[in-house]
Amino acid sequence: MVKLLVCAALLLPAAPAHAMHISEGILPLPWAVAWYAAALPFVALGIRQLNVLSRQDLSFKPLAGLMAAVVFIISCMPVPVPTAGTCSHPCGTGMAAILLGPMASTLIASVSLLLQALFLSHGGLSTLGANIVSMGVIGSFAGYLTFKGLRSMGASLAVAAFLAGVQADWATYLATSFELASGIRGAEPFLPLLEKIMLAFVPTQLPLGILEGAMTAGMVVLLKRKRPDILVRMHVIEAGEVKANG
Amino acid sequence: MHQLLKHNGDCLLSHIDGRIKLLTALALLVMVLSAGGWQFPLATAGLCITVCRIRGVPVKTLLLRFAEPCFIILMIVLLKLFFTGTTPLFTFHLNGLQITGYREGLVEGLMIGSRISGAVAVMAALVIFTPFTDLMAALAWLRVPRSFIDITLFAWRYLFLLFDDAKVIYSAQKNRLGYSGYRKGLRSFGTLTGTLVIKAFDSSQSITTAMVQRGYDGTMPMLKQKPFRSVEIAAGCAFLTCMGMLWKI
Repeated sequence: MVKLLVCAALLLPAAPAHAMHISEGILPLPWAVAWYAAALPFVALGIRQLNVLSRQDLSFKPLAGLMAAVVFIISCMPVPVPTAGTCSHPCGTGMAAILLGPMASTLIASVSLLLQALFLSHGGLSTLGANIVSMGVIGSFAGYLTFKGLRSMGASLAVAAFLAGVQADWATYLATSFELASGIRGAEPFLPLLEKIMLAFVPTQLPLGILEGAMTAGMVVLLKRKRPDILVRMHVIEAGEVKANG
Repeated sequence: MHQLLKHNGDCLLSHIDGRIKLLTALALLVMVLSAGGWQFPLATAGLCITVCRIRGVPVKTLLLRFAEPCFIILMIVLLKLFFTGTTPLFTFHLNGLQITGYREGLVEGLMIGSRISGAVAVMAALVIFTPFTDLMAALAWLRVPRSFIDITLFAWRYLFLLFDDAKVIYSAQKNRLGYSGYRKGLRSFGTLTGTLVIKAFDSSQSITTAMVQRGYDGTMPMLKQKPFRSVEIAAGCAFLTCMGMLWKI
């Protein structure tokens, strides 16, 4: 265990700023195909939902595009992580899931991941399926379900958004670690490698999840203060809640 | 970011049909991912980087593209070196602990590293020599759903505007000591994100109004594809045959 910790400490300086995405070429072909197969049904459902919504409201498609651009920008922003002494970046899917729902958020994350893979080499085309599953599907659903669950239990908007952001980020990292371990393990046993990868990520990602939670809460609180109409339109809060708060 | 988003539009490669370039890149990607050794991925990386350099792609652009993958390669090689294998390659002591690097781990790590560099180089070459709209048209030709393409086009079109807005807000916050402590930094980052979301919502409304006035009915007009040119198909096939033979070896 001590050796494991020392080696994890050795690996920390190499922990990349954009480790949220699995880089192009890491996964062998069968794994890349398998993750694509896992991601496709969710993207298809997202597209179906988008088509239904954009028939009712023509502005929904441009809105989804612009939100994809926002997620792209947020996940390109370096955030200093105090414990690791490096910079990392939030994923932004928790925020998108709260505002637009998990299916639309999965689609938005897919678009954002495609653009990042093509133009910034963050992630890749061969690993797009795996990245959609971890960041798009698991991140979005973890964030959305946490937010809705906490709100139904009476939590305040800020607390629910904070924990949704935290959950979305940590769930994404757990999934990324799982995907990485299964893809690069070779003849090695799976669980010990998963443990090592998670251990190497923990010092960066644990605080980063909290930062992402704070960012999501800050965003929702700002929207409630300045533009509650957006939250009402997206069914995040009820119209009565805005009136009650003055 | 602007440096990475530029494409090289002034060379022969840029004028080749986007569909042929995309199919060739996908075939190369499959070969790189399924290669049994490190030679083919590295040869592919070398070829793509050489073509980029010959066609005048600045070294800075390539370095920016490879910065993150290089970090990941380093991390994976270290992870594999210290944790995989049984044949010791070297041993050192750190605070009384014996750390051993293994031969099998190093070989495996370098194999994965070569795959990453090959795949990243293929994608870099594809994107640098293909205009974005051609790439999207090629994806549409490959039956990627239109809604997905539409959103990607919207995102692409307004990415730069939002990015510039984000830069202005960030600079203003920084000048007012908005990032002078973690607490303040978090609040500023939340405000920045919220402001971007508000801008996205407002822009989507004004964009829709403007587009509806121009006849927008929920679908975006896509670029018309030109017919395939036999010379380009032949060149693509010849190139892939050569690479396929290398892959087989």
